[in-house]
Amino acid sequence: MIPALTREDFKVIGFNLCRIGNILGFLLLVPIIVAVIYREFDIVPHFIIASSITFILCNVGIHFLKTDKKMEVKHALCLAAVAWIFCMMLAAIPLWSTRTTGSYLDANFETMSGFTTTGLSLAQGLDHLPYSINFYRHFLQFVGGIGIIVVSLMILSKSEMSSVLAFKGEAREMGIRPNIVRSSRIILGIALTFMVIGAVLFSVVAIGEGANIGTSIFDGVNYSMAAFSTGGFAPHSQNILFYHSTLYEIVALVIFLIGSFNFTFHYAVLSGKRREIFKNIEIKTMFIVLMLSTLVISGLLLYFNVYPSASILFRKAFFQAASAQTTTGFGTVYPAQIAGIWPSAVLFMMSIIMVIGACANSTGGGIKAIRIGIIVKSFFREVKKALSPGSAVVTEKFHHIEDTPLTDTIARGAMLIALGYIILFVVGTTATVLCGYNASSSMYETGSAVGNVGLSSGITSPAMPVPLKITYIFLMWAGRLEIMAVLVLMGFVILALRKGVRRR
Amino acid sequence: MERRRSGLRAFLKKNFDFITGILSEVGLTAVIMVVAFIICVMLVLIKSMI
Repeated sequence: MIPALTREDFKVIGFNLCRIGNILGFLLLVPIIVAVIYREFDIVPHFIIASSITFILCNVGIHFLKTDKKMEVKHALCLAAVAWIFCMMLAAIPLWSTRTTGSYLDANFETMSGFTTTGLSLAQGLDHLPYSINFYRHFLQFVGGIGIIVVSLMILSKSEMSSVLAFKGEAREMGIRPNIVRSSRIILGIALTFMVIGAVLFSVVAIGEGANIGTSIFDGVNYSMAAFSTGGFAPHSQNILFYHSTLYEIVALVIFLIGSFNFTFHYAVLSGKRREIFKNIEIKTMFIVLMLSTLVISGLLLYFNVYPSASILFRKAFFQAASAQTTTGFGTVYPAQIAGIWPSAVLFMMSIIMVIGACANSTGGGIKAIRIGIIVKSFFREVKKALSPGSAVVTEKFHHIEDTPLTDTIARGAMLIALGYIILFVVGTTATVLCGYNASSSMYETGSAVGNVGLSSGITSPAMPVPLKITYIFLMWAGRLEIMAVLVLMGFVILALRKGVRRR
Repeated sequence: MERRRSGLRAFLKKNFDFITGILSEVGLTAVIMVVAFIICVMLVLIKSMI
């Protein structure tokens, strides 16, 4: 029997939530540096006000909710779920007050899309936004990509245990190092290394294409943050197409493909275990799925005479497929073209790979390649069992950093998460169709929201119905948390409503 | 000059795994892109033959 909740349970969650909020308060001050550099002094007060509200709210919360009770699994899962909503509502303030979005709800949509590294955008007039606001949108993806909660706990954690628990709540189980604080620092180090490399490459290519140096560097930093975070936001309304450069697209491909790899894999390869590239189940699964989807999508687009040549197929079909599977959301095809000239079968295929997603413990979303690999291996194991004599013991193992036996518990866990994503996908698609959109575009847009991708068939716009905006915010949030934390939060609320809250 | 060269050698030796690791990952993405391009070329060739 599940015991009733106590006030202390809520205090533990609230206290730690306010501590995370304090970190957000500091992060809200970072765009001020960009505002000062570009002399956008009228933008500075918006960030100061948002930061002040965050600090005041969180420190009042810390004062009243202070507790010595240790965090348990249920608290950590609820904290992970609530933290995204809490941070979204506070981080939306500058976007709303600067009228980057049409309403506070749109600002929340934009912020959740940023934090979850989705990339669907409701920002108005992207090409004319102040530099600091554009930087802020990409900075949200950077912070969300490497895990605001991980960063917060890396700085704040008193005990290792509470950090580990919240880390699991954010669906990022990992095994780089037993010490979670060191692991978080390693993640930050890896992310910053690749982001600096990306920014330099993007800037050099843009300068080579004839863009001015200032714009090239600003865009380079933003595109690099969005690419490694597999986010998909762009400082221009034409997204990655702004430069009309194959080389720029190739740099983007390199950075977002690397961004979609598992951080544990990064750590293994960067510490000398290069054979992991050939043995890792996740990399193999991702490679096979991406090549199969490229084959099918390119084949269909060629069959329907959408694109005639190999180079265009590579730049349009493969780029879109890679962007979808890595859950990045950079697009080299305009949403209107996707909805208008791409066949429904391609949209369906793209929806599937968006839900499959990138590697676990990366900045990407979706079911994750490792789970797909485990599910496929489980099927093979069951077939082998059926073909073997009754007394035979059939075992299967998979390689992810080390050889691991494939147990029923691991297979069941992978299948449950996959089932959760499928349910979210069906619910989201149904809601979109009910709002009057056609089925294939609805599947595409929902797959994009659930998988935290960001590619759009044109449904996501400031004019979309309010219930659909709320549905997509929920889908992006639940997809980022891999459902479990959301279910525990719902259980927490239902328990509180049914059994009440005890004093002790 | 000699000191600078030995300093560079020491840096490369110390960070050998890290640098080759980054190059390996970039190489992996290059392989992915090359295979994808070959798929696109093969499809176009097959269509032109039909």
